[in-house]
Amino acid sequence: MFVYVLFVATVPKTFGVGNWRTTNFGSAVQDPSSFLKIVLDSLTFAAALFIVASGFALIFGLMRIVNMAHGSFYLLAGYIAYEVQQGMTGQGFSLQSSEVNTWEWIVPLVVAAPCIAVVGFVVQQAFLRWNQGQELRQALITIAVSVIVADQIIAHFPRNTSEGQRFGGNAVDLTWPGWTDRFVDLHIGGVQYSLARLVMLGIGVAVGVGLWLWLYRTKTGMVIRAGVDDRQMTAALGINIQRTFAIAFVVGSALAALGAVVWASQSNISSGQDGQWLLNSLVVVIVGGMGSIFGAAAGAILFAFVSNFGASYLPTTGTDCCTQYSSILTFVLIALVLAFRPRGLFGRSA
Amino acid sequence: MRRPKLRSWKTAAVMVVASAAIAVWASGSMAASNAKVVKVAIMTDCKGAFAFGYDYDIGGAQGAFAQFAHGVTKSHAKPSAGMTGIRVGDTQIKIVGYGCGNDTVPLAITETKRLMEKLNADVEIGPLSGDEAVATANYAKAHPTKTFIIGTAGSQDPTMQIAPKNMFRYYGDGAQWNAGIGEIAYKKLGWRKAAIIMDDYSFGWTSAAGMIADFCAVGGDIVKRVFPPLNTTDYSSWVRQLPPPNQVDGYFSTVGGTGTSAMLKAFEQAYGKLDPKQWIGNLFFGFLGADKVVAPKLVGAYVGGFGNMPGVHTPRADAYRAFMSKLYPKLPNDDSFVYNYYVGAKALIQGLQKSGGAVGAKLQASLPRSLVSPFQISNGGVVKLDSRRQAIQDQYQLQLVKKPDGSVGPTVIAFIPNVDQSFGGLFKPTSPPPGRTQPPCQKVKTPWQGKIKAVVNGKVTNQVIK
Amino acid sequence: MNPAGWTRRQQIERGVSAAALVLVLVWPATGFSTYWAHAILTETFLFGIAAASLIFLSAYGGMVSLGQTALFGIAGVILGNLATKGGPGGTSKGLHLGWDPTVALVLAIVLTTAIGVLLGAVAARSAGIYFLMITLTYSVIATYTLGQVTKISGFSGIGGINRYTPGWIGNILDHPNRLYYIGLGVALGVYVLIRYVIRTPFGLALQGVRDDPVRMSSLGYNVALHRTLAFGFAAFVASLAGILYVWWSGQIAPGNVDLPQTIDLLVMAVIGGLVRIEGAWIGAFVFILMQNYITSSTHVPWLGFGGTLFGGSFNTIIGIIFLVIVLVSPDGLLGLWDRFLTPGGRIRWRRRRQAAATEPAGLTPAG
Repeated sequence: MFVYVLFVATVPKTFGVGNWRTTNFGSAVQDPSSFLKIVLDSLTFAAALFIVASGFALIFGLMRIVNMAHGSFYLLAGYIAYEVQQGMTGQGFSLQSSEVNTWEWIVPLVVAAPCIAVVGFVVQQAFLRWNQGQELRQALITIAVSVIVADQIIAHFPRNTSEGQRFGGNAVDLTWPGWTDRFVDLHIGGVQYSLARLVMLGIGVAVGVGLWLWLYRTKTGMVIRAGVDDRQMTAALGINIQRTFAIAFVVGSALAALGAVVWASQSNISSGQDGQWLLNSLVVVIVGGMGSIFGAAAGAILFAFVSNFGASYLPTTGTDCCTQYSSILTFVLIALVLAFRPRGLFGRSA
Repeated sequence: MRRPKLRSWKTAAVMVVASAAIAVWASGSMAASNAKVVKVAIMTDCKGAFAFGYDYDIGGAQGAFAQFAHGVTKSHAKPSAGMTGIRVGDTQIKIVGYGCGNDTVPLAITETKRLMEKLNADVEIGPLSGDEAVATANYAKAHPTKTFIIGTAGSQDPTMQIAPKNMFRYYGDGAQWNAGIGEIAYKKLGWRKAAIIMDDYSFGWTSAAGMIADFCAVGGDIVKRVFPPLNTTDYSSWVRQLPPPNQVDGYFSTVGGTGTSAMLKAFEQAYGKLDPKQWIGNLFFGFLGADKVVAPKLVGAYVGGFGNMPGVHTPRADAYRAFMSKLYPKLPNDDSFVYNYYVGAKALIQGLQKSGGAVGAKLQASLPRSLVSPFQISNGGVVKLDSRRQAIQDQYQLQLVKKPDGSVGPTVIAFIPNVDQSFGGLFKPTSPPPGRTQPPCQKVKTPWQGKIKAVVNGKVTNQVIK
Repeated sequence: MNPAGWTRRQQIERGVSAAALVLVLVWPATGFSTYWAHAILTETFLFGIAAASLIFLSAYGGMVSLGQTALFGIAGVILGNLATKGGPGGTSKGLHLGWDPTVALVLAIVLTTAIGVLLGAVAARSAGIYFLMITLTYSVIATYTLGQVTKISGFSGIGGINRYTPGWIGNILDHPNRLYYIGLGVALGVYVLIRYVIRTPFGLALQGVRDDPVRMSSLGYNVALHRTLAFGFAAFVASLAGILYVWWSGQIAPGNVDLPQTIDLLVMAVIGGLVRIEGAWIGAFVFILMQNYITSSTHVPWLGFGGTLFGGSFNTIIGIIFLVIVLVSPDGLLGLWDRFLTPGGRIRWRRRRQAAATEPAGLTPAG
């Protein structure tokens, strides 16, 4: 089903006025620099998606828990990181990159991730440990948790901001460290690309590599993979499967936190994004195929490419069509993928 | 053996019915009405994007009740704690409830029904947001005996296309707020070709309509319109659709709330540092927290107005600000969320004075068609309503400046007198409401073209912006 | 008297239901609280119908669908576009076709059912979480379509639909009791219809497909077809709810089909209990009651903290209630009722817990 991505990318496009073949940018052949920029935009966005979705995939793949509170963890992490960053730089409003050094970006991350890990641990031990196997019930429990957490976030965040904007889950943003605020000359087609987005891509790749190493080179990882394949057998072999579940849930939640810090620096954090990112994670994991990191990466790339290419290359007939329908297109394609490959692109039958 | 069973379930059934009936009768009887008491409901948002507006709106309305109707607030820190003692002549005004919307239509309907039908309010002051106001306008049309004074919504439809006879708006709509900014871009910044990026929803389009109408009226050309959907996660592909900075003179933006900083960040990452001379935003660049998030990057940029006049001092405006600061010190005294509800409540009080406490059609006939409003300068400070009960209001365009304390905020630099909703005939009840291609870029002269007065150091000068 | 050997539980249930039915039938005539009649109870009837479509699919089809809200919205939008008129005195959005309201009504039901069959066909091969996911995607697509395709709706949606009711119903703005009785009638009709369908050969086959699709397929039943038709039937039921809703509120907007509304419908169904159709109306009633009486802090002073819980609002309260219900009784309120009212119920509940602990993979309602 990569065909969809390729199809979108190689449709011959021309530059004209107001017919169904005009798009915002020329075809890949005519306007390679724009094409390259959009490819890079998609890859970097896919990296951010992957970070958040991999956490979800880990929990879903191993424990078959659809953690509907994943988005709320994301949101909470973003706000905690914001408070920490504001606390360190002490300004109370949005910062210019030049005012933030690397340490002031790392520390919020290092504080937010364990906080969310603890929250995840508590939720898992209190509500999800004793009803393994009742998937619908667990999904409903996590929905309830997400509703409560989202509402509490609105009541208590953001704190370190101007008087009129406190609480209510208003939009605030984190800032990348100053050295990312420049362009990198890629020497291809004269393209200059933002270093901050490349850093995001780098973090995504690092997460992917790290997860791969953990899952395929350590003992815990081996247990997790065994558990994904056959939970009951793994438990029957006498391995402490509960401990492994707890570890996986904690790591998954921490990944949501990392994703939040990264994307909040890239964009912003506000209430309402919990639903957005939960949906993003669900789509990426289901489409890519549950239980596999490679699947999550593939799903992230597909989702990001379809979204960005849809927004950029859908025809622009006059001014009322069609790029704004890219979201509809994305989800229709997702539904079709699921219709033809119900287990996702790389899913294995359970 | 059989008899006890029969009795037990029958008894249970009877008890259920009886207790239910008692409970409902009790709650129903609380809604019993009292002669000579006018019931008012204040509809606002307490969830969603405009959750902070809850206390602002209630504070504004209650401010007018306190100033003109003897209202005594229960708490100076939190307006939503309530207000008592409101009376006009010997008619008592009772605030029966505060509606809590979340900027969507279904909850607006449910809350309005709760306020108007369950709590039997006669008048609603509200709602807060554009889409809610469209829904409320349709509701108002179906309930002609109730009166509605729009709170602070900016959509055009409620008083242009729908325009029910029992709905009033005493301030300008979203397009009116931006009146004049397009002309300023043309004349002061020399823009001839501009691109516009707007939220793909009604307020984004309405706000953009004001900018486009003005800019095109003077001779400017909008070369590209980009509309990212609401809740876009990644703005990079949308900002790439905008022409690069060397191909246009400037960009208009009506991307709001949660998207403003994300969109600007994406722009910086695509094209480099923002140039304040190339950006004009709507109120989202200067208010609602943007002054902390967006403004530091765009010092010197012009910003579309919001109907209020930060930095301008007239006796009436200052008296209003002083009064509000004293009553509710925690509310910003220059904010339009507060102000628009204030003028709405003030109008209601005058209407009730004239109607002698009667509601319904009598009140609708008695509501003032001209109102002294603190932020109005023309006509001796009087805002007039047009034939569709929409205000013709002075507007103030702004610029982001660095304040002495280091923060960046909007201040008034231009005064546009008597802006009407139709923009001189461009918007009509029969024309479609603002949309992606509406209005088209036409050279339809605005009534205030060439009449925009510069405001320097908080004083309206007679210098016209050329 | 113990006709047909009813158990004690059945006696109590039927007694209470009969009493409630009588109460509900005579309510408007008694003049008690017209708000209860025209808002709370009418809403209960129509949201109960929507929840019933969800529970039908989940209890008898084994498919938990998050797409019922989307179908509900689609029916409303179709009716809005077909029936309303534009121009002065009309509504400001939509296609304004201005067709005869009865025709529009029939078309809305037929088109929504057809769309339901189509969507069901696309989703039929998926099961469990994947089915949930596809139906969630439908909900998202509906939200974006209603929001962005401004010709048919737009963000403020279509309003004033309740001015265009069919002649044989008349003006429901002046006579809201008519909508009340229509809602009650349709709700009863839907209940009876569902109870009938599950006893037909189709219904029985569907339950077989729910329990063991592999075996059914090896017996020669077309599993995908059964699921598709079930989804179509549920779409039909949801369309009825959608039409009642737009007559009640007059408006349909993307806010009616978005993620929070989808979750709300699921919450209603779960509170009532996902295994019995009666749960639909009980769950809807409880939810709407809470929504009306706990909407803002001033309504619940006795909860402390000025009526809010740790600074939260209605959402925190309903989240906690929902959580407690799901933790204590996965079958919702009716599950609790069932469990404690019959000795058999208690044993069944204990057995279900044991079975659930060793359940294989697959997203089924507990037990």
